[in-house]
Amino acid sequence: MDVLKTLFILLIFPGGLFVLANGMVYEWADRKLVARLQNRVGPRWFQPLADLLKLLAKEEVVPESVNARLFVWLPIVALAGVLTGALYLPIAGLQPSYSFSGDLIVAVYLFSMLTLCTGIAGANTNNRFSLVGATRTLTQLFSYEAPFLLAMLGPAVAAGSWKISDIMAYSSTHPVILLQPVGFVIALIGLMGKLEMRPFDAPEAETEIVAGALTEYSGRGLALFYLGRYAELIAGLTLMSAFYLGGIHNQLDYIVKTLVLLLALAGVQTLMTRLRIDQIVGLWWRYGTLLVLLQWLVTLLLKGMVL
Amino acid sequence: MSEAVVQDKKRFVVPIGPQHPALKEPGHFEFTVDGEIVTGATVRLGYAHRGIEKAVESRNWTQSLYLLERICGICSHVHAMTYCLGVEKLAGAEVPPRAQAIRVLVAELERVHSHLLWLGVAAHEAGFDTLFMYSWRDRETVMDLLESFTGNRVNYSANILGGVKCDVTPDLASAILKGVDFLEERSRHYLNVVTTDEVFLQRTRGVGTMSKEVAERLGVVGPTARASGVARDIRIEAPYAAYADFPVQIVLAEAGDLEARFVVRIKELFESYRLIHEVIDKLPPGELQTRMPRKIKAGETISRVEAPRGEAFYFIKSNGSDNPERIKVRTPTLCNMGSVVATAVGHQLADMPMILAGIDPCFSCNDRTVAVRDAAGALVTWESLRQRRLAHQENK
Amino acid sequence: MTSPEERLQAAQQVLASWAGDTQSPEPNRLDVGVAAQNLIAAIEALIGARWGYLSAITGLDLGVEAGQIEVLYHFCEGAAVLTLRVATPRASASVPSVCPLIPSASVFERELVEMMGIQVVGTPDNSRLFLADDWPDDVYPLRKDAVLERGVKEQGNE
Repeated sequence: MDVLKTLFILLIFPGGLFVLANGMVYEWADRKLVARLQNRVGPRWFQPLADLLKLLAKEEVVPESVNARLFVWLPIVALAGVLTGALYLPIAGLQPSYSFSGDLIVAVYLFSMLTLCTGIAGANTNNRFSLVGATRTLTQLFSYEAPFLLAMLGPAVAAGSWKISDIMAYSSTHPVILLQPVGFVIALIGLMGKLEMRPFDAPEAETEIVAGALTEYSGRGLALFYLGRYAELIAGLTLMSAFYLGGIHNQLDYIVKTLVLLLALAGVQTLMTRLRIDQIVGLWWRYGTLLVLLQWLVTLLLKGMVL
Repeated sequence: MSEAVVQDKKRFVVPIGPQHPALKEPGHFEFTVDGEIVTGATVRLGYAHRGIEKAVESRNWTQSLYLLERICGICSHVHAMTYCLGVEKLAGAEVPPRAQAIRVLVAELERVHSHLLWLGVAAHEAGFDTLFMYSWRDRETVMDLLESFTGNRVNYSANILGGVKCDVTPDLASAILKGVDFLEERSRHYLNVVTTDEVFLQRTRGVGTMSKEVAERLGVVGPTARASGVARDIRIEAPYAAYADFPVQIVLAEAGDLEARFVVRIKELFESYRLIHEVIDKLPPGELQTRMPRKIKAGETISRVEAPRGEAFYFIKSNGSDNPERIKVRTPTLCNMGSVVATAVGHQLADMPMILAGIDPCFSCNDRTVAVRDAAGALVTWESLRQRRLAHQENK
Repeated sequence: MTSPEERLQAAQQVLASWAGDTQSPEPNRLDVGVAAQNLIAAIEALIGARWGYLSAITGLDLGVEAGQIEVLYHFCEGAAVLTLRVATPRASASVPSVCPLIPSASVFERELVEMMGIQVVGTPDNSRLFLADDWPDDVYPLRKDAVLERGVKEQGNE
């Protein structure tokens, strides 16, 4: 029975299929919101699902002169990484399926798998757009990763634990967003970088390098990368709500808080122009990292005073 | 492609075109990059080459008008007007003032349409899709006006040899004024956006800068030249049609960067709105057309018109027959294309679509002059096309 | 600002030592015949006098009987248009390149080479600009006697 239950958790609910389905709905919501803000009609509710089915039905072309095994496995690893990471999160307002002290670090790194795999996938092919895209993807990864992680660790330091459920318990009783406003902003912007949302979409800037690192991907591989991104959207929003918006206690809590964040993301995407990769790196290392370190200092000082 | 990358390790070439999301029309650019920095650029045109210059030599003067109007979908009126003005000059025809004023009116509406289109495309190249969507929505206003005016959203066919086809009715006049007032308000907003949006300015200010000296040396024309401080506008220097009665104020900027090109084009919109108001207020009464001979007196003439993108130049030679002897078309994009290649070097790859869009390139204008291929890849000639048509009609 | 007529007079003075057949076909226009070997010197003098800018280069085939091709260099300044007319024999059409003086003329000259079959001596780039890559080398479409059916390779039918 235990095996069955574990499999159910891993594959169907709250992991696996549920995260993917939820991700598709949120992806649609994001696209629809941006479209409405841009005075467009936007996609219908089943568009991400239709895209997915279409891609799955299509032939997957493996280009010559790539490492075929790597080419096929990278999207699977990427998706697996995100889905595994999601198991440690309070998805849909439930308690995390699995938990151990230090799971925050593991989860955050698992979420980076997607970007890392995208970068390697681009570097694996010989397509010039992919190569430029891969360079940009990895450059961007190295620029936002440190500040994003530090911003995520901010509440952890305040809570005195690196366990997601402990931090959530802390944030339920403390107004973290008021105590660490800089951390919140940096984490939100870092999430946009992770999801390659405008203004951080230089790695897939269509007017320059077509589809960036994923230019050579088609069919199943592309579908899996898309699914990975949908799942990452869910994971990121959940983590943000849990840490900064007072935790997630029930289903309504989950829906309201994540959707508010999504609305903010859509708004920023609409208002922004794509930044160049050098501007992105400059932004993160010149301001992002310094500000978040300052936030840490303040947090530590406050903690010291309270204790 | 893969071998090229492996063999040519020293030069990493990023091809843009002939089919590429950044280009709405086919052109081929090859940017040699070192990391993200562009170290070289080449251009290859002709993907939309239709042999129009050759084709007009075997068509009569009236047929040529319709062919030349189809050089470009955006500035079609400009091509038709340049041709008509030239042929009328050769024939010594006196075109009624009302017709000339209506030509100006359509030309300015077309300029509004073209500049708004450009604003959207340029914003899209920078990754600012919100501005793109909004400016294209507003562009519909002027396209609807042009449709109710001439019957077409593009390729208006407002000109005929010796005058124009369509007249301004009181209803239409008030609709145009209303539409223009709406657009003026919107344009003010866009001007505000492109000059104050910090993130957008990061992509435009100081990017693709062309000094006045370089602009003069490269012979750039139109808004691209005016953004670099080169006071060159045919509407002012050599007024044609009714521009002598409706004088234009030149719009200049000094900086020469992409921001200046945005500002110059948007400010030109205000000038166009003002002109449209003025033309409608002071539209001279009278005929719309004058009779034109079927054969045009032998001679040569040069006709120059300020298209939305800069100076369009026509050289027309008649040998006194039904057909033109030679028509040479020099479109503004050809002049400005050189500036892209010259300013590209040293910039980031990410700036390339912007710099390219900065001159408002029009590839079908460039490639006016047919290589139609059938399914088997063989070249189709005019004669074989005619044969096919005849065969098709017989089968029916 | 000086009037177009004055500008054209100034140009005429600048070009006096190379000018051949000179006429004014229309108001604000001046056509000056220049021999091919004097073209560079004439344009250099124009640039030295800061007269106008090169607006276009037209290739004009006068037909098989005339046996000549004219190359027209149109310089514009304000309303004034100055045209330098260079005649060259059809059989061995050749003009010097003006690119060393006016770099932007490169595209015009590439067009002249492929469309008119005029050899432009010293032009930096002779590659195809408009015509297709597999366009036959000896067919110059804008020449009056160009037979476009001839020389067309019927690929794909092989």
